[in-house]
Amino acid sequence: MADVAKAGHSLLARRMPGSQQSGLREFLSFRLGADVYAVELARIREIVSSPPVTEVPRSPSDIVGICSVRGLLVTVVDLRQRLGLLVSPPTKLSRILLANTDSGEVVGLLVDEVRHVVRLASTEIEVTGSVLGADLSDHVLGVGRPEGDFVVLLDLASMVET
Amino acid sequence: MAEGVDKAREEFFSEAQELVESLSRNLLALDAAVRAKTEDPGLVNEAFRAVHTLKGLAGLFGAKRVGTLSHRLEDVLDSLRLGRLPLTESVLDLLFRAVELYGDALSVERARSDDPLPAIDALIDEFAHLGSEGPSGTSPLAKFELDQAMLAVLTEYEEHRLKTCVQQGLLLYRVRVDFALATIDRALEDIKARAKTHGEVITYLPTGASTGIDTIELDLLLASASSLAELEASLASNGAIIEPIRLRRVEATSARSAPSLGPSAPPTPSPPAPLPAHSLSERAPDAVEPNAAAHRAIAQTVRVDIRKLDALMNVVGELAIVKNALARMSERIRAEGGRQLGSELHSIQRSFERRLGEMQNGILEVRMVPLGQVFDRLARVVRQIGREMGKDIRLVITGAETEIDKLIVEELSDPLMHVVRNAIDHGIEVAEERLRVGKPLAGTIALNAFQKGNHVVIEVEDDGHGIDETALVDRAVVLGMVDPEEVAQLARSEIFNLVFLPGLSTKKEASDYSGRGVGMDVVKTNISKLGGVIDLHSEAEIGTKLTITLPVTLAIVSALLVRIVGRVFAMPLTSVAEAITLDEKQVRMLDGREVMTLRGVTLPICRLGRIFGLAPLPGVVPPKRQYVVVATLGSRRLGFAVDDLQGQQDIVIKPLGKSLSGVRGFSGATELGDQRVALVLDPAALIEEMLRGSETARERRLGYG
Amino acid sequence: MRAFVRSALESGSDLGEVDVVEASGGFDALRLLPRGPYDLVITDINMPDINGLELIQFIRTNEHHRSTPILLISTQSSERDRKRALSLGADGYVAKPFTPEDLRSRVKAQLEKGRTSARGNG
Repeated sequence: MADVAKAGHSLLARRMPGSQQSGLREFLSFRLGADVYAVELARIREIVSSPPVTEVPRSPSDIVGICSVRGLLVTVVDLRQRLGLLVSPPTKLSRILLANTDSGEVVGLLVDEVRHVVRLASTEIEVTGSVLGADLSDHVLGVGRPEGDFVVLLDLASMVET
Repeated sequence: MAEGVDKAREEFFSEAQELVESLSRNLLALDAAVRAKTEDPGLVNEAFRAVHTLKGLAGLFGAKRVGTLSHRLEDVLDSLRLGRLPLTESVLDLLFRAVELYGDALSVERARSDDPLPAIDALIDEFAHLGSEGPSGTSPLAKFELDQAMLAVLTEYEEHRLKTCVQQGLLLYRVRVDFALATIDRALEDIKARAKTHGEVITYLPTGASTGIDTIELDLLLASASSLAELEASLASNGAIIEPIRLRRVEATSARSAPSLGPSAPPTPSPPAPLPAHSLSERAPDAVEPNAAAHRAIAQTVRVDIRKLDALMNVVGELAIVKNALARMSERIRAEGGRQLGSELHSIQRSFERRLGEMQNGILEVRMVPLGQVFDRLARVVRQIGREMGKDIRLVITGAETEIDKLIVEELSDPLMHVVRNAIDHGIEVAEERLRVGKPLAGTIALNAFQKGNHVVIEVEDDGHGIDETALVDRAVVLGMVDPEEVAQLARSEIFNLVFLPGLSTKKEASDYSGRGVGMDVVKTNISKLGGVIDLHSEAEIGTKLTITLPVTLAIVSALLVRIVGRVFAMPLTSVAEAITLDEKQVRMLDGREVMTLRGVTLPICRLGRIFGLAPLPGVVPPKRQYVVVATLGSRRLGFAVDDLQGQQDIVIKPLGKSLSGVRGFSGATELGDQRVALVLDPAALIEEMLRGSETARERRLGYG
Repeated sequence: MRAFVRSALESGSDLGEVDVVEASGGFDALRLLPRGPYDLVITDINMPDINGLELIQFIRTNEHHRSTPILLISTQSSERDRKRALSLGADGYVAKPFTPEDLRSRVKAQLEKGRTSARGNG
């Protein structure tokens, strides 16, 4: 597995050749609070740490603000808030995942810590329904258990469409 | 790579869009020609080629619906150009519908939907019902002594054109010119342009005569009503030798006499003897046929992805930061004693600044497109609505070459279409009414555009019956938007501005806007999102005029940086009238709003820190003295209270993403350097918000709403 | 269309190395002809100004190029125009739709047939 979360600078996730063909889906896992979540790797274009974020007055509360990545204006969303989880102040491990949305916008997802790439066959993804609670289930694709971890797979598209 | 395919797809849509637009312009010109009872076969041919190209593209990209539509349209256009189908208003109607359908088909393709478009099948059915005429009986060409050899190399289309010209009573001429291969393009354009003013060039035939290694001799077959003398006078400078093609003498029977090509040369199948070579004048004629020039212009343009321009702008932005760093460095050097070195660096930095400014302007210019793009689309809408409502509309367009940022143009077509629709529907009276009041039968809609300083002004004027001010005010009172006691004090401009309040339409019957009714308030919102303003003026029985003022470009502006509760914001200088210090003792309450008096005039004050809900930053001391930045927009003024002024700067405004589309008061954000981002205030939206807010407060006080 | 023809000719291995010269229309072709000799001319019929028929006739009556094989790719033209092209001296035409392989094999066949004898009336 490729370890993508090197501290400090932006990296593009590397994909292992051949995994797409064998019907495995790739996700990037990260920590929000005490739990592990993941989103489709293909959507993540870059990971940045601690750029200066400017608050936007009167914006929805789960939007942290905007930041600039080499000239590209990115709206930063606090994933913990968007999912209705407890929010803690950012730490040195916090990162912003830059994701491509269907509308062409690049959105930044603020997470507590980035972990690693997780590969799951479609058969290994459990579609859970309402197990995880009302707020969450709209955005959940399913749950995976790679090597004993419990990872909630999130649907990026539904999370960032307003 | 998925990326490559997506790019190709995008290019397909962009190219297809352009082709449809060019087809639309073509059809408009054809429409004008049909109405003026003139003919321009070139237009039908161009339309045919555009549709043919579209068909090919659609096939390549598997865009089935676009392909099917193009296929049928191509057949119709082919029939038209070969004279098998007459060009009538009803045929044109179908063609215009096809253009609209292209738009639908392309969006459906774009959305990757598989939904069939029944409208296309319906249109195709109607095409099938258009009759096609067979060619007429004996050839009209028989009346001229035309060389068989020349006729043999005419294509079917060219032959059709020749017949048509002869049937119209035109004479035929052979114009022989010697061209130097090196300059043939220009020389050709030149003689083409001149020849076209006399009639139609059917074809160009290389004579094959060897007049030299680097020259070539061509015969132009020209159909014209001009006399030989006129033609000789006009084309002599091109070195042309002109021979009229003689009418066949009635006595001549089956045996053909001397061929009419060439001056009394014996009949010979081989090319005529070479004529003396003339060098062609290189001077371009004063009146170049517009079509030729237009074709030139199109070939010299490049399609650019606007994202590439944005990327370039980014680089310019970064360079601006470098420039500022250089400036600071040179100051430091001078301060630390290196006078000589510092001066030199300073002058280098100045010239860098100049070049950077040039580059910036250059890129901005590339983003600019002429408003004619939008106006063309409007012309189609005008024609369509006019026919729908049975009103004859004359559209006058001036200033189509006025340029504005491409992004603004994209957003303009909807509001403008709306305004025009309104004018035709509610403004222009029905025919009987117009006659009754002595107006010409055809209603006039005038679109005008011009640049005024940093702004572009677009005017839409109609000669309809104007706006009934009394009815407007009454309705506003009924809806609770105006206090009845204040009616008498409303200035005319304020009355007209009522039109832009939601829900206000004085049309007695239900308007044809279905659903929630798209009104002028939406138009106004759209315009202000672009950083512009819209004003209305009307005179009863005479007409109504809407004036839209827009910034020339959203991309880069001079801005005033201000600090509000510790955060930096940018305000575009175009809206800033002045900045003064705030004397709290001068501030008083009026009608629930904070105001102060500035040179005798009341100025409402807005405390942005409060409006934005900005919490004080830890460690930041509130200022002892505040400032007021007076922003104006049209006749409205508002003073924004800020903590500090941080100077002027040229900034590149970048739009906020979709996720932030609900946030009011900002026209975007800009990067200040060191990756720091500042929000750019939208004074128009803020003024709007403040004034509306105060109205609501007043209404509540008075018991309305 | 020109781009398609060019790429068809330049790809695949059956033709070997080809040097493709593109002309934007009848006039351009006239201008480029002196740079010959050419092994083959491929042309359409409906072109603005100088049309394909006129070009074919010109080539067939020009002493330097009269034996150059000419292939017609007709896109929007009629049966009557195609017949004329052949009677004026075109060696053949490639009907649409055609694949790159089709085009290459026609071109190869024509090249192998070699120089044609001057035909058609001047």
